[in-house]
Amino acid sequence: MKKKIYSISLNLVLILLGIITVYPFVWMLSSSFKQNKEIMALEQHLLPQAFIIKNYITMNERFDFMRFFGNSLFITIVVTILVVYTSTICGYVLSKYEFKGKNVLFGFVLSTMMIPWCVTIIPKYSMIQAFGWMDSYKALIIPAMFSGFGIFMMKQHISTLPNEILEAARSDGANEFYIFHKIVFPMARNGISSIAIFQFLWSWEDYLWPYLVINTKEKQLLSVGLKMFNGQYSTDYGALFAATTISIVPVLLIYLFFQKQFIAGIASSAVKG
Amino acid sequence: MKKKIMLIAMVSALSITSLAGCSSESNKKEQTKIDVPTEVFGDTIKYDPNVEVNNGEKVTIELWEWGSDELFESLIAGYTAIHPNVTIKLVNNPWEDYWTKLPLALDGENGPALFNIHNSYHENLINYLAPLDIPIEDLQADFTGVDAHIIDGKVYYIDYGMMTGTVYYNKDMWEAAGLTEADIPKTWDEMREVAKKLTIKNGDQIVQAGLNFNGDFHQNYLLGLNYQLGENIFKEDGTTPNVNSDTMKQIMQMLVDFYEVDGVGSKDFGEKGADSFGQGQSAMVIQWGHFYNTLNTTWSDINFGVFEIPTFDGNPYAYNRYNGESTFGINKNAPKDQQAVAQDFVKYYLANDNVQVAFNLAMSTFPAKKSLANNEEILKNPSLRVLAEHIDRYIWPGPMPETVENSLKRAGEEVFYNGVDIDTAFDEAQATIEKDMKNSSFVSVENLYKYAK
Repeated sequence: MKKKIYSISLNLVLILLGIITVYPFVWMLSSSFKQNKEIMALEQHLLPQAFIIKNYITMNERFDFMRFFGNSLFITIVVTILVVYTSTICGYVLSKYEFKGKNVLFGFVLSTMMIPWCVTIIPKYSMIQAFGWMDSYKALIIPAMFSGFGIFMMKQHISTLPNEILEAARSDGANEFYIFHKIVFPMARNGISSIAIFQFLWSWEDYLWPYLVINTKEKQLLSVGLKMFNGQYSTDYGALFAATTISIVPVLLIYLFFQKQFIAGIASSAVKG
Repeated sequence: MKKKIMLIAMVSALSITSLAGCSSESNKKEQTKIDVPTEVFGDTIKYDPNVEVNNGEKVTIELWEWGSDELFESLIAGYTAIHPNVTIKLVNNPWEDYWTKLPLALDGENGPALFNIHNSYHENLINYLAPLDIPIEDLQADFTGVDAHIIDGKVYYIDYGMMTGTVYYNKDMWEAAGLTEADIPKTWDEMREVAKKLTIKNGDQIVQAGLNFNGDFHQNYLLGLNYQLGENIFKEDGTTPNVNSDTMKQIMQMLVDFYEVDGVGSKDFGEKGADSFGQGQSAMVIQWGHFYNTLNTTWSDINFGVFEIPTFDGNPYAYNRYNGESTFGINKNAPKDQQAVAQDFVKYYLANDNVQVAFNLAMSTFPAKKSLANNEEILKNPSLRVLAEHIDRYIWPGPMPETVENSLKRAGEEVFYNGVDIDTAFDEAQATIEKDMKNSSFVSVENLYKYAK
């Protein structure tokens, strides 16, 4: 009985927290079908009093939404794939190989996570300018190829893989390249899913860096486009909510598809040192 | 079940994105025919469309701006129709972060040749600007307020328009209160009486505020009405703030009296006066020109009118403060050929009346170009029409550091919300501004006011 009450209470609390978390998204979705005057009205209703789809139709007046969406998708996928690969290979080396200076190297990787981005952004900007990469996707992809957090996560995760499997493969004549790609990589899929989701989300919502380095409208990303709705004196909330609603769709799908592996990956990286 | 959820999610995603995608077709702008001028045009600043730019050779420059793409695109289309060898790449930016990106870009070699300026960022940008290639006398002949922009005998940018505050009133509430056009107040005493009539209460609870200045009293009252009483925001040296003066305190006291003596509004009745007006909760607000556009886009149901800001005695030293909307900046680090095109572009922009009208209407600013003071299109805008008669009696103090506004806002909030007395609050504001401005190069240009004492 006591257990049942505990379970019901816990579920009620979780339902409440779930509602608190989801409500703003529902409100945003609903508001994307409202007129601006209704969004800013004193008396608020969750559902639109006058249902309109104009916000979705007219948001393209501000920018070529689908192009920005496509650009963001391209950059995010490329960066995510690269980060997953580099994090896994670096994590593998740091967890399964013994060499001099390994801990120092790992410490260096960890230290990159501890420097605030605002400290590095100006030197990074100057470097990109000096390389002549301004207004090019090289400026978005190359500096993002390695992730300190990704390497840390994958080192933790791969260290849970039994050494015996790797030794057995070596005894059977597998080279290191083969072991990594055919054994370690598939076995680390839960960790990879976690990194992929984190990286996808970070790249998708990254705003300041793409804004600083990309000038050409046709190359611009969605996160920058969303900011265009905030004017000097006013904000077009209806169009902003419509565009934001669409912009969260890829992230939502990624979570839906990979949530199982994501949770397993986070758990395994967290418990094993 | 899981597969079903995924299917639903994907179908919804596809339908929403395709809904957005549909509109990209309708988004394709119609090509309008551009009349290419062949004759010299302009007042004193003249533009000759027959003179080649960059010897007719191809050249590309960037123009960075925030705001409406269409406005800038039409300007560029007009210019490039005259000079087909010039390509101007428009880079649109979000207002807030433009001021992070622009100085970074101007610091390097590849910054834009042309860019939008807002005078509140004057100190951050002035070192990157090339002076205009137009004689100062010509600028002075065609535009008001040029003197305030002269730095060591050079002008880097001027104002194309002047934005200031006017009173917006809800016509339906006005009529319901039995008021007519004849009741439009000319003085603050009359304003108080009208505001009382427009206020509706249910017991002690305000249902409709006669006047609402919540959230922007510092900008629309404290920094402006001082001029009506003949006092500047800065002392004679142009650098020492004058915010703890008796005049400022008198204005603050008037605001307190509006709410606490007359009861025509309340500090707790709506966080922002402008929104409260749009929501149909307040009958009058003083707002700057941009509010006219906000009313037409966001609050299109409000039946509103506009009248000139009241004065204390009908014979003010000046009516209010204004701020200029600035012309383009030219990047002094840009290649010489690009700078030459940028200079030519600015001349075209200043000489072209249609462009000037379009920019002023888009921003709801009164044209700084003297010949447009009585322009029919401009006077159709009620928020500009009410300014026309006394437009020369508005003062620009110069690009004030933001501490002036922020400190006065805090002072007012201390008075309204924390019960601090006006003397203490304004003395603190004075001390804060003095401290914050120690390293500022700002010097007030209030002394350049046409009717300066």
